[in-house]
Amino acid sequence: MKIAILFSAGRHAASGRPAPVPVELQAIRLARELIGQAAGDAAGDAAGDLSGDAPGVITGFHAGPDAGPLKDALGHGLSRLVQLSIGAQDDPLPSLAAALGAERFDLVLAGRSGQGGEDAGLLPYALARALGLPIVADACALAAGPQPGTLSLEQALPRGARRRLILRLPALITVHPAAPAPLPFAFAAMRRGMLETREGVPAPRAAGEVEERAYRARPKLIAKSAAGASATERLKAATEAASSGGRLLVDPSPEDAAREILAHLRQIGVLRH
Amino acid sequence: MSRLRRDPRMERAAHRIAGTPRPRFDLAAASAATSAATSAAPGRLRRDPRGEERLALVPGTPRRRLDRTQRVALAPAGAVPAAAMAETAPRLVVIAEPAYLVAVVPDAPGGRLTPHDRQVIGAARLLADAGGGAVLALVEMPGEDLAAAGVDRVLGLPVAGYDPEAKAALLHAVLDGLDIRHALLPESADGADLARRLAALTGEALFAGAESLTAKAITRAAQGRRIEQRRAPPRLITLAADASAPHGGAPHEAIPVVFALPTLAPGAILSAEFVPADPASVGLDEADFVVSAGNGVHDFTAFRALVAALNATPGASRMVCDAGLMPRAAQVGASGTVLDARCYFALGIAGAPQHLQGVARCEHVVAVNTDLHAAMIERAGLAIVADAQKVMPALIDALTGAGAAEAQP
Repeated sequence: MKIAILFSAGRHAASGRPAPVPVELQAIRLARELIGQAAGDAAGDAAGDLSGDAPGVITGFHAGPDAGPLKDALGHGLSRLVQLSIGAQDDPLPSLAAALGAERFDLVLAGRSGQGGEDAGLLPYALARALGLPIVADACALAAGPQPGTLSLEQALPRGARRRLILRLPALITVHPAAPAPLPFAFAAMRRGMLETREGVPAPRAAGEVEERAYRARPKLIAKSAAGASATERLKAATEAASSGGRLLVDPSPEDAAREILAHLRQIGVLRH
Repeated sequence: MSRLRRDPRMERAAHRIAGTPRPRFDLAAASAATSAATSAAPGRLRRDPRGEERLALVPGTPRRRLDRTQRVALAPAGAVPAAAMAETAPRLVVIAEPAYLVAVVPDAPGGRLTPHDRQVIGAARLLADAGGGAVLALVEMPGEDLAAAGVDRVLGLPVAGYDPEAKAALLHAVLDGLDIRHALLPESADGADLARRLAALTGEALFAGAESLTAKAITRAAQGRRIEQRRAPPRLITLAADASAPHGGAPHEAIPVVFALPTLAPGAILSAEFVPADPASVGLDEADFVVSAGNGVHDFTAFRALVAALNATPGASRMVCDAGLMPRAAQVGASGTVLDARCYFALGIAGAPQHLQGVARCEHVVAVNTDLHAAMIERAGLAIVADAQKVMPALIDALTGAGAAEAQP
């Protein structure tokens, strides 16, 4: 199985220095474990450092002026990284589409949203459309599907829920931060890994009507009380939700109370059975 | 400086009587004119501190209270506002001939709008009201809460199961077929996915994760939250959570729209199965249904059995965690976890303000407490004044009895 992983020019969340994006490092682990499963090797550890005759190869792709800190990804279990050399302001989509279209990959993994550019998370979708691949968002576990040529994946939903999907390959999948943590960094693996530089497709972006300025954090909306109201009223607005005319039962028998509570919980759809 | 500078020569010249060969000044007659002129002049006016205080006085409070900000228009006390309220409350806003449409695609899991959906509809209302447009909701299952949320038109999207590709294709057809100026989606897991699919399909720019929105300008963060992008609202927008206020006015009509949707071939997803979260392992901040114990609960074995029977996540008040009866990670409130749950079930909790802050975002609250005047009883949608110790075994019996009765036939 041939797997490609897309890398973006990330920044560290705290220091702001250039660094790989954690979700993309998690994608390396998912890909390695998937290949390990396919090779019948449950640990999946031996599958990464291999050459052409092995059951699977993982290739990383980055379109940008410089690979820079993305060499760290080689230390986290990636065997080969291809840097497509384009200008800093260029659109990476044509370069990536050309590179991925030239080789036939079974699976393309990407982070949930890249960093460094628009941060809109739009590139995987545009790329999937350019390559004619189906796309599935927010995967947190991958496994081989029941039939050959299919993939079983778990999609992370809010509040800890999951959705199990079976998907026909080839496909493009974006990875959710709920996936298992990246493999630990190994310096020797980074030295061993191959970094290849190719010329990308220069694609200058058209100047849009977007005005850019320094970011300013805006206050989030909180429950509003009438301005100028007393402190008690403001506290009440912060602590009380819009009450929908609560029902009050005074001193019912425990059985009546239990019946009422269960009926109410079923009515609001919290209790399924 | 607001006070005007005096010019004595000019003042004297103003008193001069015209048409006499010798300069003559009629100070007595002119003094009345000048005093009138000075009182009307834009110089410093005399303050009336008592009058200001009378204006700032908030009526209807037992203690004397002044509102010097004057941000609220002071309503005259009495029966007039009550009559006005009764008149406006049931009125329905009708937009018969909209100039354009603002489409909203709420997540609405199970046909119920989430708070984020309501905020997106509120933002769409803002964009629609700026130019006499109407809000069109595109939902899989039309629910009855759309009208109150501020939706004018409703169009059903018949999508079987989980098939975002088909849904995006249907949305694309609707965007092409109707006069839609803006399409708003929530930046939630499903909404974000759908918006990006739609953007890739149409080839239009997507303004993803907008953090503030007005009819003229919209902003979002970019480049790792170092840059703020700002522009006039484009066609495709996703809105971050808590960025816009939900619609608070009168309900709109929410009438169904007829539109011929295309039929689509099945996509690459062969099967989809929803796996609910395991409530025992999910964190309190992510939990959907929390059952919480307070000082009125002594039997924690029964409490844990009840939590397991209800398939909920256990929580506790500060009193219980301080006593070491529940782990600190289970504490709900200002110094514990602020919940984002759909339902909160409080057993034997009176509801200190700090605890209620932790429950502020919960949609439904059920409370069992012995004190009729407890704050939690006031907050709850279903409040039961009874001993939680006695209600817990009755609940377990009812749940296991219901389970056994279901298993038998």
